Amino acid sequence: MNTETMSVARMRRRPGLQLGLYGTLLPPLVWMTLLYFVPIALLLIYSFWRLESFEIVQTFSLDNFKTIASNAAYRRVLVRTVAIALGVTVIDAAIALPLGYFITRHGGRYRQLLTLLVILPLWSSYLVRVFAWKIILGYNGVINTVLLSLGILTTPSQAFLYNSFAVTLTFVHVWLPFMILPVITAFEQLPTSLLEASADLNARPWTTFRRIILPLVMPGVLAGSINVFALTMGDFITPSLVGGASDIMLGNVIASQFGVSYNWPLGAAFALVVMAIVFSGLAIVLRRGALETL
Amino acid sequence: MGWLAAPAQAAGCTLTAIVWEGYTDPSFTQTFEEQTGCTVKATYAGSSDEMFAKFRAGGGRNYDLISASGDITERLYQAGLVRPIDASQLDNYSAVFDSFQNGRWNTFDGQPYGVTFAWGPNVLIYNPEAVSPPPASWDVLFDPEYAGKITLPDNPMTIADVALWLGKPDPYDLTSEDLAEVKAKLLELRPQIRKFWATAGELANLFQSGEVVLAHAWPLTYQQLDEAGFPVGSVSPKGKLTGWTDSWMIAQRSPNADVAYEWIDYILSGPGQKGVIEATGYSGATELGTAEIGAERAKELFMDDLSLHAQINMWQSVKNYDEWVQLWNEIRS
Repeated sequence: MNTETMSVARMRRRPGLQLGLYGTLLPPLVWMTLLYFVPIALLLIYSFWRLESFEIVQTFSLDNFKTIASNAAYRRVLVRTVAIALGVTVIDAAIALPLGYFITRHGGRYRQLLTLLVILPLWSSYLVRVFAWKIILGYNGVINTVLLSLGILTTPSQAFLYNSFAVTLTFVHVWLPFMILPVITAFEQLPTSLLEASADLNARPWTTFRRIILPLVMPGVLAGSINVFALTMGDFITPSLVGGASDIMLGNVIASQFGVSYNWPLGAAFALVVMAIVFSGLAIVLRRGALETL
Repeated sequence: MGWLAAPAQAAGCTLTAIVWEGYTDPSFTQTFEEQTGCTVKATYAGSSDEMFAKFRAGGGRNYDLISASGDITERLYQAGLVRPIDASQLDNYSAVFDSFQNGRWNTFDGQPYGVTFAWGPNVLIYNPEAVSPPPASWDVLFDPEYAGKITLPDNPMTIADVALWLGKPDPYDLTSEDLAEVKAKLLELRPQIRKFWATAGELANLFQSGEVVLAHAWPLTYQQLDEAGFPVGSVSPKGKLTGWTDSWMIAQRSPNADVAYEWIDYILSGPGQKGVIEATGYSGATELGTAEIGAERAKELFMDDLSLHAQINMWQSVKNYDEWVQLWNEIRS
């Protein structure tokens, strides 16, 4: 068959093909509309309503956003949440970079296995992993037991669990795979020849890392960062399980507004604030080409 | 067609309820299910507000029954979510303590909207192996010796307790100045607090893992720990007690009202009362219950003279509740 008849055949098939193409798009589109876009629209509407003596008043007002902006306690929670999310992201990136480099460059025939080990924790329940940290960090936990038996401590320490350290540590662990996977992908696309060329031109390892490796794997790091940042921003289970008396995050405030406090409008407004922060983070990393290579 | 009709009938006999933990404990719920052939499907709530919100969601069609505490009974009535109680449908209604029939916490416009079945104080629970001498007042929570070993309920109603500690006459009617005092007291207490507990299960776990030795809690936790063989003590500091009186209320739109009445009647009966009392450690509300558990146990639970009931500042509706929630969020942030 020559090229001319092939292109004719392709043109004839096109209308049917297009219909099929749109047809396959329809189910996910309906799905997304009903289960994603509609709820978000509802959330948006709720955030402009307000609560008056246990009743939701359906008139437009900006009260909820004013409350969030003017209340010192809420501002503190907002700042703490963003700080923890950024901290977790940076720590995960710092762990993922050397790990990703090692696995792709020196993993050899174990590369598949090592990558699998990175993903393995994702196969266990998120709750199990958080509870595992409670067992490790607790008053009668693994760390305290070891320190006591080594004679380093005489009484168990309360310093490990129920504080922001425990919250950060748990987040770093549970979200790490979401950072490592895109970083590994980025390292896999990094041509060895560039590193050799850099070395041939007498660049020191640090210079090679800074000027060759880092810029080329940056899209992977950024993609991982938005994963980790968004997951941390919205979570409320980890701070309520391993956080202390004053370590609540935005997720907890939202959960309590929809639960114990029954202030859905304020909860909706908080949820929008979280979305706005995550989307602005997304916009920043997209402009720096986070998703181009994936 | 018999195979088609059978499951349909079973589905029509599922009683859904939103309750405090322990009120549908399998130990006595199973008996009811066997007697009536109906299934009881219960959801636990962590606070009165959550209970109210969940009960109301979906236009009040999601649940047949609610075990409402005194702080939301009026709210439920005002919202038109519950129906008046027809006492003639309850064989055991006359056994309810006289002062609990037409109690002001569930009677509105001269009509009963709920049936009182259990009550109790919020108590101080401690681990006697770590706390000595046995505490007598709430002041022990501020003792530096127990710093970082204390837990309080994650519930804005705890503000009423702090108001009582501060000597406020009515802990449910607090001005902004009162609330500022409460806030200062809570901020003073916060460094002592290891964690705020959300569910009874979590609280029991905090004791068992050695994380806390003192708690502001429900008698349920005493019961649970004692049953598990864990060392536990409980104190009810006189004059400084908050508590609750719980009523069964039936949803206005309940499709299973007949079964709901059967359930309430069962809980008022001797075995039902005994079941609730043994599962939760709370006090019962009927003469049948008193007879079932015996005079000695009834005296322990103040069911013979109700002197404790009169002394407890029972949870009530709070007018400026949004201020309470705000204060609580500030303490938690």
